[in-house]
Amino acid sequence: MKTLAFLTLAPPLLGGLILIATGRSLPRRTCEVLACGAILASFAAALTAWITFPGGREVLTLAKWFSAGPVTASVDVLIDPLSLIMAVMVTFVSSIIHVHSVWYMRGEEGYVRFFCYMNLFVFSMLTIVLADNLLFLFLGWEGVGFCSFALIGHWYQDSFRGHAGQKAFILTRIGDVAFVAAMAILVTNMGTLSISTIDERVITLSANGALVLGLLFLFAATGKSAQLPLLVWLPDAMAGPTPVSALIHAATMVTAGVYLLMRLFPLLAISPDTMLAVAVVGGLTAFWGCLAAMSQRDIKRILAWSTISQVGYMLLALGAGDITGSMFHLLCHAFFKSLLFLAAGCVIQVLHEEQDVLGMGGFLRKARPEIFWLFLIGALDLASIPPTAGFFSKGRVLESVLAHPGLAYRLLFILAAAGAVITSFYTFRLMFLAFAGEPAKPFTHHAAVLPAGMARVLWPLAVLALIAGALNLPAWAQSAWTGNGWLEHALATVPGVAPPEHGSHGNTAELIDLGAGIFGFALAWLLYAPSRRPGVQALVSREDGPLGMFRGGLGLDALYRMVFAKPYQALSGVLWKGVDWGMVDGAVMGAGSAFAWASRMVRPLANGKLTVYLTMLVAGLAVLAAVLAGGMR
Amino acid sequence: MSVTQLIFYTLAGVIALSTGLAVFQRQPVHAVVYLVVSFFATAVLFGLFGAPLPAVLQIMVPAGAVMVLFLFIIMLLGREEPKPRDLSTLRWIGPAVLAAVAGAAGTTLLLLPAHEATPMAMAKASARELGHYVYQNYWPAVEAVSVLFFVALAGAMFLVRDFKARPGASSDTQGEAQPGSQPGSQGDAPSGTQTSPRAGQEEAAQ
Amino acid sequence: MTAPLEHVLALALVLFAMGAFCALARRNLIMILLGVEIMLNACSIALVGASLKWQSLDGQAFTLFLMALTAAEASVGLALFVHARKRAGTLDSGGFSSMKG
Repeated sequence: MKTLAFLTLAPPLLGGLILIATGRSLPRRTCEVLACGAILASFAAALTAWITFPGGREVLTLAKWFSAGPVTASVDVLIDPLSLIMAVMVTFVSSIIHVHSVWYMRGEEGYVRFFCYMNLFVFSMLTIVLADNLLFLFLGWEGVGFCSFALIGHWYQDSFRGHAGQKAFILTRIGDVAFVAAMAILVTNMGTLSISTIDERVITLSANGALVLGLLFLFAATGKSAQLPLLVWLPDAMAGPTPVSALIHAATMVTAGVYLLMRLFPLLAISPDTMLAVAVVGGLTAFWGCLAAMSQRDIKRILAWSTISQVGYMLLALGAGDITGSMFHLLCHAFFKSLLFLAAGCVIQVLHEEQDVLGMGGFLRKARPEIFWLFLIGALDLASIPPTAGFFSKGRVLESVLAHPGLAYRLLFILAAAGAVITSFYTFRLMFLAFAGEPAKPFTHHAAVLPAGMARVLWPLAVLALIAGALNLPAWAQSAWTGNGWLEHALATVPGVAPPEHGSHGNTAELIDLGAGIFGFALAWLLYAPSRRPGVQALVSREDGPLGMFRGGLGLDALYRMVFAKPYQALSGVLWKGVDWGMVDGAVMGAGSAFAWASRMVRPLANGKLTVYLTMLVAGLAVLAAVLAGGMR
Repeated sequence: MSVTQLIFYTLAGVIALSTGLAVFQRQPVHAVVYLVVSFFATAVLFGLFGAPLPAVLQIMVPAGAVMVLFLFIIMLLGREEPKPRDLSTLRWIGPAVLAAVAGAAGTTLLLLPAHEATPMAMAKASARELGHYVYQNYWPAVEAVSVLFFVALAGAMFLVRDFKARPGASSDTQGEAQPGSQPGSQGDAPSGTQTSPRAGQEEAAQ
Repeated sequence: MTAPLEHVLALALVLFAMGAFCALARRNLIMILLGVEIMLNACSIALVGASLKWQSLDGQAFTLFLMALTAAEASVGLALFVHARKRAGTLDSGGFSSMKG
């Protein structure tokens, strides 16, 4: 098991390092094969580990790192069902994305940089997934932050893309401050940074201590997972290449925050206030993201806000106490959202970098039917139409919220259900606008021809998106041949997984979910079906006008700019021009110019005139005589 | 106050007055003549102080040789027209202040009542005694002074070896190499005064 | 009994100040040299007076050397003035300021 853990972690790291060292001197095909091969090797190792896993949980130490006082950091790996399932999902989705991006980046010159960072990113993510020691996990945490900055800003020559990368990095960094503070509190209160040990010693915490720790870790998770209040970086991160969005913003980095909270679930669970806080953050973000998504015109931004919203659902399920439900939705979302992103990438390349949904139309469906079907599968998942995986996973989330006692959770359920309606609405709005009817902006080019592999390689994701619901069918759908809540049983040994308690509510949640999906479809059909769509002008003005009012993310970004960014920039300007140029440089230059002025003042004495020199001589003698005379007194 | 004291004060007044007048003369020739008077009075002062040899030598050397040499050179080089801006008083302020301060400070220091100023006893050192003294105690200095004279002679001769007067000077000096001025020699004084075409300067008006 | 040494020194000082003034305030090179002569003369007076006060012949001996120096220096200086007049055409000290700056 130790070897397998090592073989899961090492290949992406080695791939990245080899590409750094020798990438430019290797032929292009070798680099691509090396990068994809590293991830595939990692996937093979993770799958083998899962298959041969005997059960329970194990902590393996791969290497010692350092220890300073009470703080010990070591390369510890925690093997239990949760981490193995997550590792398998991460490596599987990453390998598909790597292969796809070989074709996607076919015209790119910076491919060495791209694949190197992709490999290092996967390594960092696997570190987060498998780590037992919190400092080792933090290494991966920071690693994904840095690699996402590098990947989002891949085309940094356009300054706004570089700024998008910086924005992502800075905002996740703000969350990391909370992470470090939480680690410090853990060390002082519990004396350990090992997750498995923390799970055991959780009972020793006071109520306030648990609340503080829980809130700190929640804040750190909101940074990485783009939840309130740190969600503003994710829509701008669409400036990166689309495979990057598929990897980072569908399957891995945004799920890292949720995963961390799952890992530390015992810590959260002993404080009901923390759980409520998690659920509230998740629920509010879910609704917030829906509203923003339905106002976007950029296809990638729709998907970005949709990610924010769906991760909110995962957090909501976690806040309701259901690790299984949250993990179920995490897995399904990884499959269908990465499918959606990659298919969107294909659409963008077909239309020669057109990303505005109003510039797409039925001609796209006729020209590239394969992409349309892939997109449709992903969309059905997102809108929770049965029998796709999304239906079952979102239904499970709603179920767990409904099952939780408390008024707050009732309100959150209503919010989540309304969010499900809007989710379905914006999903089918996207489908209608992108694949049906006349484009509002005429498309004058020829649709580009893509390599066949780009769409082919997405079919495994599509199949999984369709059938992954079988991972954890709800009670009323279970039968002998569809499996009996496989995921539930698989995760049973993970601390914090409570036995399901949804007996009394039956299938209410799933019915509400189904109803929400159909209702959303009906709304979208009413507004956007080609036969019922208003003319081009009216459509554009409607999209930019009343329906587009949430496009700015409900003003959160603008608020942050006004409250934090602008004063900081003003302060920087003052410090730069006022203090650095004015005072520091001014002092130094002033000293210099003072000396120059003094010498300019003295220079007329050296005018070559004999009289002046004689006068100075006698004056000096007079001073000397005066001093001597004064001394003699 | 004794006679000798009185003589001293009189001589001091003459010396100071003539020197003061010399300093403020516009023409260098006038200044030289005043200085000759000053040096004569100084010689008498030396005699009063019982130094007959220095007294005579004071007449012979500074008054007789150096001042005459000055006259030779002034006559040789001719007169220069003063420039108008020489007549500003601003130039004089600095040196005047310095001189006044130095003089005043020094004299007050010396003439303070606390400083006991006893009159000096008279004495006289004959030439023979002085001569013996010098050659007994300071003969290296005497030798050095003789070398100094030789060097000065050589230097002066070298410096003026091919002196030609400026063009535009009076015709009797054109094209002639004037012999260099030497101490004690009779140089040719150019006849009359020459006016230089260049706008030379004279002393600033006092 | 003649005047006290302090008065002699006062006279020498006044003469020295006048000589310094002449050397500094006059533009004509000849006058500058005359100022130097006056200063040397003042030193001679002081030396002879001191010699009388302390009843020592050193002062008078030094006066002899001082006179020799005066003569040598005046001759070389005046030769230089001739040379300078030849080069610059003027005996004004303002004309020799090419070493300025």
